[in-house]
Amino acid sequence: MQIKVKCNCGEGQCPEWAIVELQGIVESQPSIGNQLQGLEIGRLCCSSSSSSQVSYTFTVGYHELSGSKMALKKPLLVLKKKKAADGDNSVLNSSEVELQVIGVIRHKILFKNRPKALISKPQVKDKKIAQ
Amino acid sequence: MEMDVPGAEELEWLESNALLLPEEGEYDEEEYPPEEGLRADRGDRRPDLSPPNVSGAPRDRPIPCSLPDISRPLITHQPRIDPENHAGRKRLRPDADSGAGCSTALPREEEGGNKRRAMEEESDEDWLRHPLPKDAAAGAAPEADVHVLDAAEEKTISRFAWEIEGECLPVTGPGGERVYAKMTSSAIGVVGSKSAAAKSTSGLLSEPISVLNKRLEEDALAKALQESFGSQDNQTCPAVPAVNEQLWVEKYAPSSFTELLSDEQTNREVLLWLKQWDSCVFGSQIRTTTDDVLSALRRHSSAIHQQKFANNKFFAKNNGASVKSQNLNSSKVGGRETSFSKGINNLWAKKSMVSNSPEQKVLLLCGPPGLGKTTLAHVAAKHCGYRVVEINASDDRSASSIESKILDVVQMNSVMPDSKPKCLVIDEIDGALGDGKGTVDVILKMVAAEKNCNSDKGNVTQGAQNLKAPSKRGHKPTKLSRPVICICNDLYAPALRQLRQVAKVYMFAQPTVTRIVNRLKYICNREGFKTSTIALSALAEYTECDIRSCLNTLQFLHKKKEVLNILEVDSQVIGQKDMSRSILDVWKEVFHKKNMKRGGKALKGRIGQKDMNILHSLISNRGEYELTLDGIHENFLRLSYHDPLMRKTVKCLDILGTSESLLQYVFRTQQMSLQAYQPPLVITMSHLISQVGKPNIEWPKNLQRCRAMLVEKKDLLKAWQNNLSPSISRHQSIQSFVEDIVSPLLHILSSPNLRPVALHLLSEREKDDLAQLVDTMVAYSITYKNSKPEPLEKILRHGTSADASPLFLDPPIDDFVKFKQGYQSEHSELSLAMKQVLLHEVEKHRILQDSVSKSLNLATEGSNKNEASTKTYATEVNVMNNPMQTPVDKSCKQKSPFSQRQKTDCTARISSSGMNFKAPVTSNKPSKHSSNFFDRFRKESGMDSKNQIANFQKTATIERDSRPLLFKYNEGFTNAVKRPVKIRDLLL
Repeated sequence: MQIKVKCNCGEGQCPEWAIVELQGIVESQPSIGNQLQGLEIGRLCCSSSSSSQVSYTFTVGYHELSGSKMALKKPLLVLKKKKAADGDNSVLNSSEVELQVIGVIRHKILFKNRPKALISKPQVKDKKIAQ
Repeated sequence: MEMDVPGAEELEWLESNALLLPEEGEYDEEEYPPEEGLRADRGDRRPDLSPPNVSGAPRDRPIPCSLPDISRPLITHQPRIDPENHAGRKRLRPDADSGAGCSTALPREEEGGNKRRAMEEESDEDWLRHPLPKDAAAGAAPEADVHVLDAAEEKTISRFAWEIEGECLPVTGPGGERVYAKMTSSAIGVVGSKSAAAKSTSGLLSEPISVLNKRLEEDALAKALQESFGSQDNQTCPAVPAVNEQLWVEKYAPSSFTELLSDEQTNREVLLWLKQWDSCVFGSQIRTTTDDVLSALRRHSSAIHQQKFANNKFFAKNNGASVKSQNLNSSKVGGRETSFSKGINNLWAKKSMVSNSPEQKVLLLCGPPGLGKTTLAHVAAKHCGYRVVEINASDDRSASSIESKILDVVQMNSVMPDSKPKCLVIDEIDGALGDGKGTVDVILKMVAAEKNCNSDKGNVTQGAQNLKAPSKRGHKPTKLSRPVICICNDLYAPALRQLRQVAKVYMFAQPTVTRIVNRLKYICNREGFKTSTIALSALAEYTECDIRSCLNTLQFLHKKKEVLNILEVDSQVIGQKDMSRSILDVWKEVFHKKNMKRGGKALKGRIGQKDMNILHSLISNRGEYELTLDGIHENFLRLSYHDPLMRKTVKCLDILGTSESLLQYVFRTQQMSLQAYQPPLVITMSHLISQVGKPNIEWPKNLQRCRAMLVEKKDLLKAWQNNLSPSISRHQSIQSFVEDIVSPLLHILSSPNLRPVALHLLSEREKDDLAQLVDTMVAYSITYKNSKPEPLEKILRHGTSADASPLFLDPPIDDFVKFKQGYQSEHSELSLAMKQVLLHEVEKHRILQDSVSKSLNLATEGSNKNEASTKTYATEVNVMNNPMQTPVDKSCKQKSPFSQRQKTDCTARISSSGMNFKAPVTSNKPSKHSSNFFDRFRKESGMDSKNQIANFQKTATIERDSRPLLFKYNEGFTNAVKRPVKIRDLLL
């Protein structure tokens, strides 16, 4: 069976994606439940402080992760399944599925180090009070 | 050659033969002291016999050297040989009545077998002349006599060596036929000079075999000369070799089975074992006595009885002195007859179970030196027709050389087809450890190989076996097909451990002193050495019945023309065979005092001196001082020495302490020469506590046990200490715990003022006590636990609470104050109910503490279950400056993982009641039990720092709750053991 992969590379720029790989789990607070939509996971920052290495920081909850960008050995495609709706022969290809390339993944950002706990500001205040 | 089950007639004949002999056997018993009577007796019976003498030229020895036919000379010589031979045979008979039970019958039967075999061998000529069945049918005394003559004749010369008992000489005729001529002592002693008469005894092999051999050679030479010259006159008597130069030990070594000094029972069993090889080695089958044969035996026993009586009468004429005893004897024999036959039956039945060769392939004789183990092995093997091959300690005993040697002996038939089979005697197999081991290994390997092929052997029919035997031997080269006798001094030598399981073991017991003394006396008489019985017995006792050293000593003294002195036995004894005794013997010697009945004070002193020397050499030879002293230490208190003021005991313990410190010093500084001071210490103790009675010695196990226990308890303590919270364990070493704290701690744990009632019935004070106790137990990680129902006695000890399973302290620290099994400590035990309450409380407390620490780690997930709590926390933040409020917070937090309900309850309380929360705390608590702890917590946690921490926690959680998603880091795995220890714990 032939699967058509549709790509609009020639027309414009193919969007580049990236994988964020974490050693760990991102969990929702138990109070939130299953409603995950619209929640902000965290903040991913790219800081090109040093000349050669570009370091990424990812802040989730009260953890700050630091990672680096790595090239994948084999690039991946992100595809989107589409019902084929070609006007030419609708009878024949009605059941066929068309895949559209949404993005190409060539890099991943790997956070493999132990997360740094963010010291919250109120605590600092407390200390001040204590002193 | 095939052997059938003997017919009834044959057996009758046998029996008549055998039963004739007991009376004749009498001579053996009265042989040593009254020689004159014996000789006179012989003279009466055989007037043609010249007085028996030993040396001299036996010109007419019945050795057919160059005669064309074998049977011819036999017949011609017969008149002369037979009576003598008969006499000689009498000597060789076992002391018929001295043995007891069925085993007595055995050698006789065997000899009968030999005779019969011999007869059948010669069947060509002699069979016709002496048709057996006819003779046996007659069954009367004269006939029996004839048969004895027959047997004797046929045993003298035979084509097969094993049929001849004792020494034999191979003779080859001109026709190429080879026969073996028996050398009888009386034959040698026919003609001789009177001068040598003093040395001669008429019956026994009066001279050592080597002498006889030498003389035989000389005789053969003389014979040859004689025949070539045709004259008898110029024959010169070869000079008697200097017998005196020979060791008495060899000279008077027992040459026949009956002369053995060792225990009769052992002798017979060894012989029986050797005989079991017959079927394997000689190819003949073991006979089974069938029932009809047995009945025939019984039927004829009565007839033989009468015949016996006739004989007795006949003897009575000759030597009237022993009529009565003989009559007694014969009646006894008659009574025993049936049991004999039964015994025989059993014996043979047992043997016939063994298919081919005995079950145990190896015989292991052990016992102290000088008792005649080697002699027994040699004599028995010779008696059964083997040639003895001895491997001694002095031979090369490396594993490879020994293997080839054993294989040679055990598997190869001798190159000459008619030579005797060999029997291997490995002397002093325990001697050198490394070398001996090789030997043992080889033997074990062969035995194992034998076992493997035993299975297929079982099915082969016996007839086929005879044919197959040689081929089989060829196929399976490692099979053990010849008897192997091993001799050792110490049965429990480590090298022999495996052999012991495989081999048939016979322990040699010491013969009685009187027996030794009799023999010694006899030898002394023969040698013209004047001694007294007392001196001899003293000698025998000193050497512990080591007849070899006795004889050596005597000969030495004789040579020096000295007289054996009772008092100087120890100085006169030249040397004993070097040996080290087992450690048990050493202990026994230390605890055992020699009975000093006779002798005055001077003698006593001397004996004491001697004892000391013996003991010293014994202990220092053994060498393992540590073990020796251990054994003494553990055993000496069990002795029943007279010591009302405990002085001896104290002194002994003192000495033990000294030797212990000496030992320590020696091991520390490695100055082994100082060990030489150990034996005197032991001897001193021995002087203090040794008893006449036989000590009951046990192997010292206590040291080992204590060591194991120490290790176990140390482990226990270590594990326990690791479980303690660091704030406690860092202040307390294991040692200080055991030495100082255990007892007070146990006292605290079992405080008597606790009542096993429901908690809410306790007064405030009691609640406090309980809380404190639980706190202590948790802090020291002690709890109660259900004991498994293992040791019954323990349950019995706690008999009051036997219905429920008793509770014990979990690290059994109460064991540390119990030094002995039955020791009851002073600490009062809590009642079972109280223990259960405590167990419950401690468990609860522990869970609480765990959860507290978790919540302090901010790792609890359950604490933020409802969003409502955030609000309450928010309120708390507002009031966090209030020092009174925070403890309640804390208590809430402690509870929070416990149950959500509790928490809500708590928070609700906080939100509702601002300042006056004391009342709700006591009233609204869901669980009454826990109230105590919270009270306590409230009291304790008044400090500001705690407040700060708690507050910080609050704010942190608030902060955290503002974020919807959290990251949870997955840790990798390591092998290291991680245990969270907080600084806070250390700072407490």
